[in-house]
Amino acid sequence: MKTMKNIGRRTFLRGLGTSALALPWMESLAVGSKNYKIPQRAAFYYVPIGVVRKTFFPGEGQSSVQRNFNNDNFDAESTRSNLGVGLHDLKLTPTMKPLDGLKDKVTLITGLDRTFQPGTDVHAQCASCFLSSASPFSLKHTPYPQARSLDHILADEIGKDTPFKTLEFSCNSHNDNKESIQFDNISWYGTEHVAPSMRDPLLAYRRLFKSDERSAYKNITDLVLDDARSLRKDLGYSDQQKFGEYFESIRTIEQQILRLDGMRNELSKVDLDIPMDGKMPRGEYIRLMGDLMVASLQSGLTNVATFMVGPERWDTPYLFESLFDKPKSHHMMSHNQGKFVEDLIKVDHFYMEQFAYLCEKMNRIEEANGKTLLDNILFTYGSGLGDGSTHQYSALPILIAGSGGGRFITGKHLNVSAKSGLVKKVNGTFKTPDGGEPLANLWLTQAKAMGLELDRFADSTGTISSLLV
Amino acid sequence: MTFRFPNVYLAPELFLRMVLVLCFLSQSVLAKKEFSIEGSFESYCIECHGMKGKVKGEVNLISFTEGKDLKGDPELLQTIMEVIDFGEMPPEGNQPIDNTERKMIVAELKKLLAESVSGSEKDLVKAPIRRMTRFQYANAVKDLLELKVEVFPLPEKMMRDRSGYFKPASGKMPAKMMVSSRPLGKSGLIEPRMDGVAPFPQDLRAENGYDTQGDHLSLSPLLMEDFFRLSQSIVKSPSFNPKNVGVWTQYFEKSKRGINQMDELKSRLQHLLKRAFRAPVDDKTFSKYYSFAEQEMNKGMEMGDAMKDVFSAILASPRFLYLYDRGGEESRESESRQNLDLASRLSFFLWGSVPDDQLLDVAMEATLSQDEQLTKQVDRMLTDEKLKRFCDSFPTQWLQLDRIISAVPDEKKYRDFYYGPPLYRTTMDMMMEPLLLFETVLIEDRSVLELIDSNYTFRSARLSKWYGDAPNGKLGGPVTIRFTRQSVKDRRHGGLITNGAVMTMTSGPLETKPITRGAWVAGVIFNSPPPPPPAEVPPLPEEKEVDDSLTLRERFADHRERADCAGCHEKLDPLGFALENFDPVGRWREKYHNGREVDASGTLFRSHKFSNIIEFKDAILKEKNRFVRGLAGHLLAFGLGRELNPSDSLALDEIVESVEGENYSMKSLIHAVVKSKPFRGPSVKLALTIKSKF
Repeated sequence: MKTMKNIGRRTFLRGLGTSALALPWMESLAVGSKNYKIPQRAAFYYVPIGVVRKTFFPGEGQSSVQRNFNNDNFDAESTRSNLGVGLHDLKLTPTMKPLDGLKDKVTLITGLDRTFQPGTDVHAQCASCFLSSASPFSLKHTPYPQARSLDHILADEIGKDTPFKTLEFSCNSHNDNKESIQFDNISWYGTEHVAPSMRDPLLAYRRLFKSDERSAYKNITDLVLDDARSLRKDLGYSDQQKFGEYFESIRTIEQQILRLDGMRNELSKVDLDIPMDGKMPRGEYIRLMGDLMVASLQSGLTNVATFMVGPERWDTPYLFESLFDKPKSHHMMSHNQGKFVEDLIKVDHFYMEQFAYLCEKMNRIEEANGKTLLDNILFTYGSGLGDGSTHQYSALPILIAGSGGGRFITGKHLNVSAKSGLVKKVNGTFKTPDGGEPLANLWLTQAKAMGLELDRFADSTGTISSLLV
Repeated sequence: MTFRFPNVYLAPELFLRMVLVLCFLSQSVLAKKEFSIEGSFESYCIECHGMKGKVKGEVNLISFTEGKDLKGDPELLQTIMEVIDFGEMPPEGNQPIDNTERKMIVAELKKLLAESVSGSEKDLVKAPIRRMTRFQYANAVKDLLELKVEVFPLPEKMMRDRSGYFKPASGKMPAKMMVSSRPLGKSGLIEPRMDGVAPFPQDLRAENGYDTQGDHLSLSPLLMEDFFRLSQSIVKSPSFNPKNVGVWTQYFEKSKRGINQMDELKSRLQHLLKRAFRAPVDDKTFSKYYSFAEQEMNKGMEMGDAMKDVFSAILASPRFLYLYDRGGEESRESESRQNLDLASRLSFFLWGSVPDDQLLDVAMEATLSQDEQLTKQVDRMLTDEKLKRFCDSFPTQWLQLDRIISAVPDEKKYRDFYYGPPLYRTTMDMMMEPLLLFETVLIEDRSVLELIDSNYTFRSARLSKWYGDAPNGKLGGPVTIRFTRQSVKDRRHGGLITNGAVMTMTSGPLETKPITRGAWVAGVIFNSPPPPPPAEVPPLPEEKEVDDSLTLRERFADHRERADCAGCHEKLDPLGFALENFDPVGRWREKYHNGREVDASGTLFRSHKFSNIIEFKDAILKEKNRFVRGLAGHLLAFGLGRELNPSDSLALDEIVESVEGENYSMKSLIHAVVKSKPFRGPSVKLALTIKSKF
């Protein structure tokens, strides 16, 4: 334990997840004080471009998007699960199979809807407004109903004391400049103010666990802050507002430095080789980034994290090594379910496997209250589309792993809509099926469960009390 | 032109529907006694837009026929004017507005728009304060230090000059040049660069826009950490030495003995701060940086080293990192400050970097905003080699050339497209062709219409072979490629629309995508991108699934028959199908593989019939002012760092008008853009019309 010098970096990161290795020093690292209280934590796992419904949703096995599908020539009614509203036993569908070992620790929620605000590409709001606190049509100066996202709002409360208020991870490894920021980010400080994500595992590792290079710029922050204050006076009103991001960024970094300094002794015990070259297979890449996220949550570096497995739309093909021998574009395939449905189901399953891997990892980490990290967190899986082919914003695939420290029920399937299923376009607009609830209700429920005093979140109409213990 | 409507977001489906729905026409208003906009609305529009509660596309015009003032809604005015001007309204199938009347309506609407947006100067929209892009940051550091190596690799640059061909002062592009491509899938690494300096992430391009767009350029703690890290790693890099840093003696050399140390520090700092902050600094700001250096020296640090630390602080300072117009009350008064803002805008536009001493000097004298000086400076900037930065950023983004990187023609069907493992493709030659044409039109100050139709082009041996010409010389490797200037006798080629790059990146692996091509032409060439596609675009059935005897046009027929698709297709189809003779990898074809003839005929803007690509180019040239206006809009949006809006519309008209008499030369266009009111900025006093010749 004392010398980890010869253990590879990746081995170390893997090791972080096993309680045997992690507990002795990682807990002291996380605890820091005697009156250690298990913190509230939340993480979000975002899957782009929707899912194939028939293999994801219980009772929708009959639904399928036909060859030559177009959005008004199918019988939406026949695709509905007709499952009653309320709690059901959780039945794992083919796509959810990877969660088999964790069945009693996850909850599936069906029938949650969003509203697409016409005026942008349909994919552009999928991720960028997934966690948004703005109601559709509420903002006048932008086509996006986009405001401070849930992760930051939660962190304002539950991330006050961690070195990083939030952490953003992404597994977008595209290097063509093809899409705008709206397709590539789920985490936003505010409207048009993106919280960019870490996507290089090595850089992320250094930032999180090697704080030594920071002290070097400590001495110039005072100078530049002072200068920024005088510059601000020279700006117009709206520029002054936007320029606030500069102060906020520096303040945040200063706090990070301070808190990381407090943890430095512990962090310095981690002495590692850092081999890192070549392009990693996609699954390994996602798991490695996920390892970093889990390690950050475990060690108390942050209490709130978002994790985007890939960007919306972005047509550039990826190589999914374990699935196909040639690079495939998830988005392009989603536009032709008739032809690619089997491949799409494989992609859905692949992303679920990675989610399950992270859940299992969290579930192996024992914490001071005798429960596991997974028990103590709310780890939400979700996509911005209910189906990649119809582009519907309703009947979304949403799963929660963990119970947030015993606050949420687990092992169930909650259906909130009598008509969850594929959605047809009528008169040019998507009809949200009757009886569903806004996704924002779930976000409000999570926020309140974590102690935030909120009456509403975006277009929420209330909380979902049947999710609570 | 793409406009963002602050208050009216038209539902795209509804907006499109405007195009389809019958608008009843009783009789031409010309037959009536008097022309009026209200009368025209009544005759052509309100049947669908207001009568009996019908409000197609959420556009209700009935109140305007009842006396409401149209001028109160410039966004709506702009929209109406465009759909009428481009012939999108009234929709096909209705009695059209004849050309004379159409022109009258457009002229009248234009007048109303002018009245609507004239008024106080502060209504001119400013770009928000924004941080530099990665590209600008690297250039700025390089220029401040007169660095002989790159700061960090920039895959933003698609084409690198390997033979020193780029000599804007000569006014001539050579007949031969060596260029190297951005290695596909790798981040360019050819040039020597600073050791131990790692870049921050590349900035993404706004949709239908540029990476300079201000609302996309915000700061976060993660990025600020990068800036701190960068500012340190640059001065600590072993490459930060007298050999690489051109201004070493000026700033970073050990101070000589026997001179007044403090005076020396003062003079070094003053110049550095002025350059980095793009303005002379006031005493307060100066003393902050001065005392910082002084403290370091008091701790025993040598002056050159203290200057390095100051430089590192400067690179993290908002005065360096941010682009902004001074907006405080005080600055409105000061002409030199407005001039300094203009100097920065100008240098980031044409050099992608900070202004040089000369530009700052004339700005401080407050003469830059005068026509004569502005012309002189722009002329100078256009012959400086830093102009390469403009060529490395604007044309690739304007043409959306990044899309070629992810184009993957089917490996079986287009085997010869790939020529070596793992990533070498003909793409790498293709992407140079339009860029070299653009640079030639700029450097040689030729007519921008040559971008549509030119009698010369640039080809590598591989590209010649690709197009079916006899290759001239060796095929060459993938990294450094020889291009030669060749005359084009066959008008199917020439210009950039039909370049292999454009044709390939707007195709799928197996077949062309006429609608994607149409959207590209609409957005890039005419700056009128279609609204986002409806959510449920039915996929075009793959080849195996459909009747193999159909042509692509026939297979699309059911799109046009569907009410919610037809609107867009009426606009995009002619633009895209005109290019059908170019297959998915940009080669000429007369027939589809099923033996059917390619039909590339159509009508542009419902007025110019064409039967093939050459006639299509002619049709575009008949509408040359629309193209030039579109290009002017692209340049302006790129330079200003924001989307354009109706208040810029008049400026675009004036720009077009002023370059008409200049043979549409590229430099006159840039001059006119720079002299336009939106570019000069809200606070510079100048007459509304810009007709001065340069």
